[in-house]
Order: sequence, then structure tokens, then C-alpha cells
Amino acid sequence: MEFFLEINTEEMPSSHIKSGLSQLEDKLKEDLRSSSISFSRINSYGTCRRLVVVGNFAPEQKDRVEDIIGPPKIAAFDEDGIPKAAAVGFAKKHGLSVEKLVVLKTERGEYVGARKITKGVPTKDILKESLPKIIASLSFPKMMRWGENPLRFSRPIQNVLCIFGEKPLSFRVGEVASSDFTTGHKIFSPKKIRPKNFSEYRKALAEHHVVVEQVKRKHMILKQAEKKLLSLGAQIYPDEELLDKLSFDVESPHVILGQFPEEYLKLPLEVLSTAMKEGQNLFSVVKGKKQLPYFIGVADVPKDSKTLIQTGNQRVLKARLEDAKFFWNQDLKIKLRKRAEELDRVIYQEKLGSYEDKTQRLKKIAVYLAHKLEAGGEKKSVAEAAELCKADLLTEMVREFPTLQGQVGGLYAREEGYLANVWKAIYEHYQPLSMDDAVPSSFSGAILSIGDKLDSIVGAIGIGMGVSGSKDPFGLRRNAQGICKIILEKKIDLAFSRLVDKVLAVYSEVFEKDKEDIKKRCLEFFKGRLQHIFENQGFRYDLVNAAISPGIDNIYYTYLRLKALDSLKESAHFEPMILIAKRVNNILRNQSQIYKINSELFFEKEERELYTTFTIIRDNTLDMIAEGDFTKAQRMIFRIRSPINTFFDHVLVMADDKRLKRNRLALLQAISKLLNKIADYSQIVVSD
Amino acid sequence: MSIQNLIMNLQKFWAAQGCYLAQSYDLEVGAGTMTPDTFFRVLDKRPWKVAYVQPSRRPTDGRFGLNPHRVQKHFQYQVIMKPSPSNIQNLYLKSLTSLGISLHDHDLRFDEDNWESPTIGAWGVGWQVLLDGLEITQFTYFQQAGGIDTFPVPVEITYGLERLEMFLEGKDNLYDLNWSEDVTYRDLRFVEESEFSEYNFNQADVKLLKKSFDMNIREGQKMIDRDLLLPAYDICLKCSHLFNLLDSRGAISVTERVKTISQIRILVNQIAEKYTSREETA
Repeated sequence: MEFFLEINTEEMPSSHIKSGLSQLEDKLKEDLRSSSISFSRINSYGTCRRLVVVGNFAPEQKDRVEDIIGPPKIAAFDEDGIPKAAAVGFAKKHGLSVEKLVVLKTERGEYVGARKITKGVPTKDILKESLPKIIASLSFPKMMRWGENPLRFSRPIQNVLCIFGEKPLSFRVGEVASSDFTTGHKIFSPKKIRPKNFSEYRKALAEHHVVVEQVKRKHMILKQAEKKLLSLGAQIYPDEELLDKLSFDVESPHVILGQFPEEYLKLPLEVLSTAMKEGQNLFSVVKGKKQLPYFIGVADVPKDSKTLIQTGNQRVLKARLEDAKFFWNQDLKIKLRKRAEELDRVIYQEKLGSYEDKTQRLKKIAVYLAHKLEAGGEKKSVAEAAELCKADLLTEMVREFPTLQGQVGGLYAREEGYLANVWKAIYEHYQPLSMDDAVPSSFSGAILSIGDKLDSIVGAIGIGMGVSGSKDPFGLRRNAQGICKIILEKKIDLAFSRLVDKVLAVYSEVFEKDKEDIKKRCLEFFKGRLQHIFENQGFRYDLVNAAISPGIDNIYYTYLRLKALDSLKESAHFEPMILIAKRVNNILRNQSQIYKINSELFFEKEERELYTTFTIIRDNTLDMIAEGDFTKAQRMIFRIRSPINTFFDHVLVMADDKRLKRNRLALLQAISKLLNKIADYSQIVVSD
Repeated sequence: MSIQNLIMNLQKFWAAQGCYLAQSYDLEVGAGTMTPDTFFRVLDKRPWKVAYVQPSRRPTDGRFGLNPHRVQKHFQYQVIMKPSPSNIQNLYLKSLTSLGISLHDHDLRFDEDNWESPTIGAWGVGWQVLLDGLEITQFTYFQQAGGIDTFPVPVEITYGLERLEMFLEGKDNLYDLNWSEDVTYRDLRFVEESEFSEYNFNQADVKLLKKSFDMNIREGQKMIDRDLLLPAYDICLKCSHLFNLLDSRGAISVTERVKTISQIRILVNQIAEKYTSREETA
């Protein structure tokens, strides 16, 4: 039977809608499963005013069959099938006639039993109970209350429509009683609609100016925009985030094309598009790479026949662009260098000092990085960029459009005639803002970005304001993932733990004590982020742990270790190698002391052979590891398996002679140490 | 078409919804939310409906009368209804229609915008209302004031009168708006804007402001201790305006900002606390 539910609310933010729909689907499925109600696929739809789920559910729960085992068959019936006293008694006890008894086959033979069938409860009765709980349990990033309603939700609930098998289901959610109606578009058709099923619902809403499918609305926006821009030969400047928001914000998408005076094209694209997007939700229009003096807006109306919406938006935009132009011209009157001098009065964090302090730290870190990464030529420009990169915090433009920080500084630096690797570094030093955002295109930008982010992370962890649970006040997770993303994409071969040392040294006055502890916490934090990144990339969790566990002294190499494990995981040598490594580890587990090898003490043939093979393999692999060729190193390591096996078969490690025992342990310890440079095999799960 | 007509229409509309029409408060405030007719009345449990015009001062928004849409003093039309009626959005739409706006010819949107005022420990959830892209109203369900959960939940509707009138008159410059049939916004406000901008940005005596701020904070605490909550709250409003002036004089660094705001909030939270417990025992 068809089920559908519509929660009608005041306008919800698009992020709430998406999360609300997926929670609704999941919770409904979970409820159906636990109540043994079979169902076929559940779909969900949403607009800013509606959360909708549709599905096909069985009309009632599955019947519950319960078998009660009675006496053995031989004891219950005689050879002619006549019931004996045991059968009669058992049947009576369960209120059945003897003929209703069944024969049950068990491991212990055949028994007589009673089969009890409990009829399933109608689905509607179960839904009436569970839906109010499901709806009340939805959670949103920011919840609110309204009126005198005890419920918390994303925005006030106006109405709940629920139909099952073409009949309304009645229940209450907080103060709202479910109903058999919905309403059309809030402004253009606020009429009651009483649909009997989902297809009627969808059709009636469409007639009343509501397109209920988000995919369809998105498509309509793109199609209409394409059509409007056809004669200009132009396209909208792609902005997935904005498109996504708008396709939820409107129920009746109508695209408008508007214009602004050409003089504002003198403003950079970044400034123009931000002024359009923020506040007014408008798309920029481009032809190839060139911005045109047009915009695309999406209204929640059937049509704009009097073009009032178009002219209204044009008027508002012109005022915003006039402001932006004013800021641009005002800002350019004061050079970045001059502005940077004022950073000492802008507090970065009470305990971590001003932005001037941060700038000085960043400069040292960036120069160190340029030196370590053999980008000596970048040293001067990186230092210059570090000095200037925070200056735009004091510009009118960033005050007005905070999301443009960095970019604005870069643009002003370009206007002032700085070299490309200086202004680009400033421009890109907040990148990437998320795992989907691009990393800096310039090497100087990458250096500055890593330095800036690591300074923030070490600082916050150092003053005990790091990440805890869902709290991440400084965006440290995003920053750490940003650093990892840059390192991985740019293949930066860098001694990471030494970089952390450097940052701590730069912070010297702030953190005199506890440096080791802060470093430890920092590296642990990064391990966690790397794990998250790798698992999101689809690597097996145990391989991820095996690659990370030996340390993240070199983040890029950690990744190469993982790649090697991943590429060899299907190899015939892989699992036997892991088993042998685990065996080595087991023997060494309780050895707290590290022993030294004395090659003269090997007197069994097998141990001498193992030692010889080991030294050859070690010498070869160490070079491969240094070059980051972990696949080759891993393959080389495979060769140690057979001599270890032979060794275990013929040599007793725990010999009575202490000197022999220690020497054998020393050999195994050396092998284990080498293996650990490749992976922590104990983390890898082997199927039996 | 004129601002006074707009005000009269709104008064008529909201009076018909049962609102008491308050007069503007007689102290400098940054927003209609800050006056006692909103602040105290959202805290207690009793129903409350009020509407009023409130001149609102934001010294840093001053532009010497030269910017066509930014001023250091603007006019808000503030409506509070507690508990929030379930048809409040519809009432609001009707209020726009009553102003002669044909909603079928325009694009009216409720765009996510949550409001917060750290100075008075208040926040709410709601929208900025956009009419063809122009922000004409802030629409908020109050969740907290003075650090205290507000329940029953009040809804606040704040119309920006200049914005709305610019829309109605189709003008790009607020100084060209008509206040009445023969008095323009320029006639009334231009000199005020340019003189106050000069005062706010360049002339106000920083030492004097700082000293008055400190003295008022002490006085506020004294009045709280004596259970004179309304006078204590007035003093907080004075502090808030002094803070805004110091800010526009560029005399407040980022850390000082947080510290100074929290000095006021500490007083406001005590007032809210005492007020609600007094209400509960009354």
C-alpha cells in the first residue's frame, strides 16, 4: 500500500532539508524493519517548505510464527498414530485439539509441537504510534521552538499530511494534528489540496505552482538560464553551492536575466561575483573567461510579466556594486605594507597574540619550508607574502565581504605591482577551504597555506583549545585536512614532525614547557585526520591503520606506504607475509629489552642464512624506502618469508643458552624494525 | 506616498491584530529589540503584543550624508507577538498587501538569517525577508534574551522603514524619499547625518566616553543590587551606545571589544535573571 507523508513548514535552510530527508528515510526504514513490516523502496522529496517521503508498505506486519516443542514423537503417538497421554496433555495445555499438533524435526529427532501464529498488527496502527516519535526525533544543526509548542524543529511546522492506502492517518506531532490536505504555493496558490495518493499530490501541487522534485527544479533553473543566455552566447559562472541552495529555496523556479552598468566590470571577478551571490543569491554571467555585465537570478514565481522583479534586483545590485567600487577605490589608497603595520592592534587570539605576532611566526615557518623543500628561489617572495598576507583583514572590502579574505589581499598586491608568486601566495593562502576546494596553484601559496594552518593548529592545541567531540572552534579539522590535501596533491616530501618542532620553536615564548606533549597531541590529531581522508578515499581501514601506525613523519610517504599495501593486497605473498610478521611480533611482544646482533654467535645453518638474507634485503630496501618506492621495497621484503619459516622450523629461539637466545631475539628485533618501516602488519586483518 | 503614510498604515494594520501601539523609546538604541517594550516583555510568561517605530542609531554606519543608503540613524518598525501565532507569516504577508504591494507581481522570499545580539545575550532563528532582492524585514523567533530561554516563544518582525519606502516610491536614494507630502527625508535628516558622522567618527571625546562607560557600568551594578531593574537596564542601553561611539572612533581593539561587550552583557543577564524570578514569585 502506498504511504506518503508531507511535513509542511516555514522556510527551512537547504542544508536542513537534505539532512531532514535522509534522517526521515533512515528512521522510517529502521522502524519498518523492527516492526517486521515489509516495504519496497522509499523516496524522498523536499522544498524549503516541505519534507516529503513516499513508499510502499505491506498493509500489516508479518504474522509471527512460534513453535513450541512438546514431547518426542515416539512418546506422543503409538505406531498407529493414536495419540498417547503425553500428546493429549500437551495439546490441552496449549489450548489446541490433538489434530492441530505438528511434527517438528530437531537435531535430537522428531518431536511433537504446537505452532502458534500471532496475526500481524495493521501497519497503520504501528505508523500512528511511531510517526510522531520519528518526526520529533529529527535533528538539525540549529533547532528552534515556536509559540507554546514543546517540540524543537528546524522551523515551525505548519501542517502534516499523511496518507496510507489512500486514507488519511491521524496522529499528533507536538501541537499539530495530522490532516488530509496540503496547500499550494504560499503566495500564488495558497489553496487546500486533498490528494488521495502521491501521484495526485504531485500533479495537484504542480498545478498550484509547486514542483516537488528538487532534481526537476534544478534542471528547470539550468534550462531556463541556458535559454535566457543563448542570444548572448554566454553561460552562468558555475556555482554548485548556490545552485543547490536555490533549487531548494524556490518551489516555482523562474529565472530572470538582469543587467548592471558596464563601469562595474572594472571590479575584479571575485568581488563582483561575491557581491552578487551574498545577500542577493545571483549568478555571474561569463562568456568564455570574460565576465559580462549581466546576472542570472532565480525567483519563486510563475512569471515576471511586468519585469518588476528584474528591475528591482537590478536596482539593489547596482547599490551593492556601488558600495563595492567605493571600497575598492578607498582600500587602494593605502598600501598593503602600510596596513600590515597596523596588525599589532588586531588580536588573533588572546594567548597567542596579535596578527602581527602571527605574521612574524608565519614568516619564519614559511622561510624554513622554502628552505627544506629546496625552493630557495621562493624564499624572498614567500617571506614577503607572509608579511603582507594578513593585511587585508584591515580593508573595507574584507570587512564587507569576509569570505573574500586572502583573495582581496592578493588582488590588491597585484594592483600594487608585486610579483606573481607574491600576490598569488597571498591570494591562495587560505586554500583549500574544504576537501572539495582546490589547493593553491602556486608553490609559494602552498608553502604559505601549510605554514598558516599549522601555526593555527599548534597554537590552538598548545593553549588547550583544540578539538573535542563535535566542537571545533578554530576549524582545526578543516585546517589539518587542508594541509594533508596540499601535501598529497603536490607530492611534498617533507619531514613533518620536524616541521612541527620548528613551529613549536617559533612559538618558543608562548610554550616554554610541554613542547613534547603538544607535539605528541598534534601528531595524534593529524593521524586521525589522515585516517579520515584515506578511508574517505576508499582504502581498507586495516591497511590505513597499518600504513599510519609506523608514524607520519612524512605524510606523503605514509600515503605511498598505503598505496603499496593496497596494490599488493591481492598478491599471493601478501597474507603469508602478514602471518609470519605477526608471528615475529608475537615472540617479541614481551621483550622489553633491545638486543644487539653478534654475527659470530649464529651457529645453526638456518639462522646464519636468515641473517645473511636479512642484511641483503635490508640494504636494498632502505634505499627504496628513502626514495619512496614502497611497492618495490614491499616486494623485496616478501623474500624474507621463506628463510624465516625455515628458521622457525629448525631453530629454537628461546634457547637455554642465554647468549644464543638473546642473539636470536636480536635478529628478530632487527627484522621487525625493518618490517615496521613498511607497515605495521599487526593491524592488517587476514581472513581465515 | 510617504514614510508617514507607511507608518500610519502599519500602525493601523498591527493595531487591528491586537497590538498595543507603543511610542518610540527615549534613549539611543541600536535596534528596536533593545527597548524595554521588547526586552522585558519577551522574558516573562504572559502574552504580549506590541508595535512601535524606533529610531535606531549605529554610529559606524554614518556616511556624512553622502551614501544613498547608509545612515547612522534609521527608523525601524518593530512588532512583537508572544506567543508567536501560527499564522504569523500570513499576517506579515497581509501587512505588505495593506501597504499596496501586489505580491503576485514580485518575488518575496524568506532567506535564512539568524539574528544575534551578544550585548543583550539574545539570539533567535529566522530570516531576512527579500522583496525582489531587497532586504525589507528581519523576521525572528526569539529563543533567548538576557541569557534566558524565552518561552512562550515571541516572534519579532522588524521592518526597515527607509528600505520599504524606497521600494514603494521606486527611488535609489533615501534622501529623496518623502516623509510627508511636502517634507523630504533630506530636509529632515541630511544635516543631522553629516554633523553626527563628524561627531561619531572624528570629534567625540574618547577619554570622556571611556570614563562615562566605566562610571555607567558601576552605576548599573549598583542599581541591580538595589533591585531597580528598569533604571539599571536604561544604564545598560547608555553603555551600549557609548560602546558604539567608541567603536566608531576606532578606539576599541578586537580583544577590548569582546571584553567591553561582555561587561554590558553581565549586567543585562543579571537584570534578566532578577526580572524573571520576580515575575515568577509575583
